[in-house]
Amino acid sequence: MRRFLDRYWYAYAMVLPVVLVTGVLVLIPLAQGVFFTFTDINEGNIANPVLDRPATFSGVGLVNYLHVLSGDPAYGSFWSTLARTLVWTFGCVLAHFTIGLGLAVLLNRRVRGRAVYRALLILPWAVPSFISAFAWKYMFNAQYGVINQALRVVGLPDPVWLGQSDWALVAVMLVNVWLGVPFMMVALLGGLQAIPADLYEAAEVDGASPWQRFRDITLPGLRAVSGTVVLLGVIWTFNMFAVIYLVTGANPNTRILVTYAFERFFSGASRDYAIASTYGVLILSVLLVFVAGYRRALRGQEAA
Amino acid sequence: MAEVAYDKASRIFSGNPPVRAVDELSLDVADGEFLVLVGPSGSGKSTALRMLAGLEDVDEGAIKIGGKDVTNVPPKGRDIAMVFQSYALYPHMTVAENMGFALKLRGVAKGEIKAKVAEAAKMLDLTKYLDRKPKALSGGQRQRVAMGRAIVREPAVFLMDEPLSNLDAKLRVETRANIAALQQRLGTTTIYVTHDQVEAMTMGHRVAVLKDGLLQQCDTPRALYDKPGNAFVAGFMGSPAMNLKTVPLTAEGAKLDGLVVPLERRALDRAGADGLSEVTFGVRPESLALVGSSSVGMEMVVELVEELGADALVHGAVRIGGAAERFVVRVDGRTPPGLGQTVKVAVRDAGEVHLFHPESGVRLSS
Repeated sequence: MRRFLDRYWYAYAMVLPVVLVTGVLVLIPLAQGVFFTFTDINEGNIANPVLDRPATFSGVGLVNYLHVLSGDPAYGSFWSTLARTLVWTFGCVLAHFTIGLGLAVLLNRRVRGRAVYRALLILPWAVPSFISAFAWKYMFNAQYGVINQALRVVGLPDPVWLGQSDWALVAVMLVNVWLGVPFMMVALLGGLQAIPADLYEAAEVDGASPWQRFRDITLPGLRAVSGTVVLLGVIWTFNMFAVIYLVTGANPNTRILVTYAFERFFSGASRDYAIASTYGVLILSVLLVFVAGYRRALRGQEAA
Repeated sequence: MAEVAYDKASRIFSGNPPVRAVDELSLDVADGEFLVLVGPSGSGKSTALRMLAGLEDVDEGAIKIGGKDVTNVPPKGRDIAMVFQSYALYPHMTVAENMGFALKLRGVAKGEIKAKVAEAAKMLDLTKYLDRKPKALSGGQRQRVAMGRAIVREPAVFLMDEPLSNLDAKLRVETRANIAALQQRLGTTTIYVTHDQVEAMTMGHRVAVLKDGLLQQCDTPRALYDKPGNAFVAGFMGSPAMNLKTVPLTAEGAKLDGLVVPLERRALDRAGADGLSEVTFGVRPESLALVGSSSVGMEMVVELVEELGADALVHGAVRIGGAAERFVVRVDGRTPPGLGQTVKVAVRDAGEVHLFHPESGVRLSS
């Protein structure tokens, strides 16, 4: 043991700060959150040093989980919120991926002013997302927003975008697609540039049409990159709180799991930390299951 | 099966000034012929091949395959198969899928693809590896898969772009023989690009030498070696390279140190007609021989001896017109001279001497 430390102390010393930061910022809150899910903690019974009040919450076992998983509207209608979260997540990621891939393919050829196009397309990503969110919010305004003005000019119906209907979900999804496409495009463009040009030439000589080259060379060549970015996209979108909160606030029609956890934690009559934490743990579980399944599917594809 | 013809075909890359990568190339390749395009890097040999493949535009002139003008036909419509220097195997497909890809695109029945792939795999000793991905293969195996992919197509013309340059020396020699034998057996017209003149000499029925986009000479390896059409071809073909020196001309012949090499009448007449007082004199290392100290010959100080086993290459300096010129002599490997020794060197046979115009490089001797 002593010799071990003598020999490797430097390596451990270098790693220690990261371990500490990760522990303080991730592991301890995570453990605390898991602990809260087994209690009835809320604003009224948590220890409050300002009021000099001791903690009075107590353990309740699995009751929080039972409440949430029952799908009771008083506890956020878990199942329908999960369904909406999945629609939101997969709808956004699908749009991110297809639009991002389309733009990446367009940019991956020699066009005049390619650098300019690339910069313009990355712009939505460079603008702070709250600015984009507010800009979209104004554009979606039912009476004065440019979107509805344009729709009226063309003679199409002009819905109340951000009201109490599923249009609100469509609207936030549009905003999120706008924000998320640049990342996909940049990542996929990198992937496209890594595909050797002579593979396309070989396929051309083999008689492949442009579509066949895309299907048989481009898509398989992008598999490593797209596997990773889709995974990241799903995780980010599943937990995308900011866009929804900034555009529609606490609208139940755009409620996904994270926004409900936030509502439960910070607003409402009594800030219900226990239920918010239960949602947090359930989100984590859903994502873990998804990631495990996704990685297995990817590996299976590779072996095939 | 088809013959191939380049008819004053040019490829011009834009730039300032524009670069004529291939300049009015005219070349006729007979059906079933193995033609090698050889030249130093930047000579346009790969560009010429890619023009034939349809991967590079033809800016001037025309290209014909099997008598049909394919100048503006995309690669797909040319009935060609190409082996790339990097092999360009599809990394996500197995060996069998790689080889059958072109047939699959053409909508050939699965059973037929399988049979054709199996046949080609057998020919190339790849049967064991059909289910592997390219990354699980050695360099030599990958090279054979690339060949197999071309063979399965049964194209009119094979195009090969330096297919051996990524193999180690021993494998290269072995594969060289295999490709030549395979081409013989299939009888498919083949255009083969290489920068290696040994490959060109050993494989081609005919060899076309390119330099700066211009065709220098196209002939059988023997003819290129024995009668190079200009000084560039003379220096490029053959290893070690021919000794090429500018020497003064006298009425009797070319004047070297202590040695006048008699020249044929024709060459002297031509040089005389151009009023030349000097000529580029070429003699291959094996056409020179060491002679006894009492014989007539050039005095050479030995600077380096490369022992190759059967032969030894003796590099040394000879004084010509006051300047030291280096010569290489191929001698019997068992009795090489020692370093620093002064030896006498004579031309084995005056008929083995090549004379070129000192400026244009054009061959003067017949």
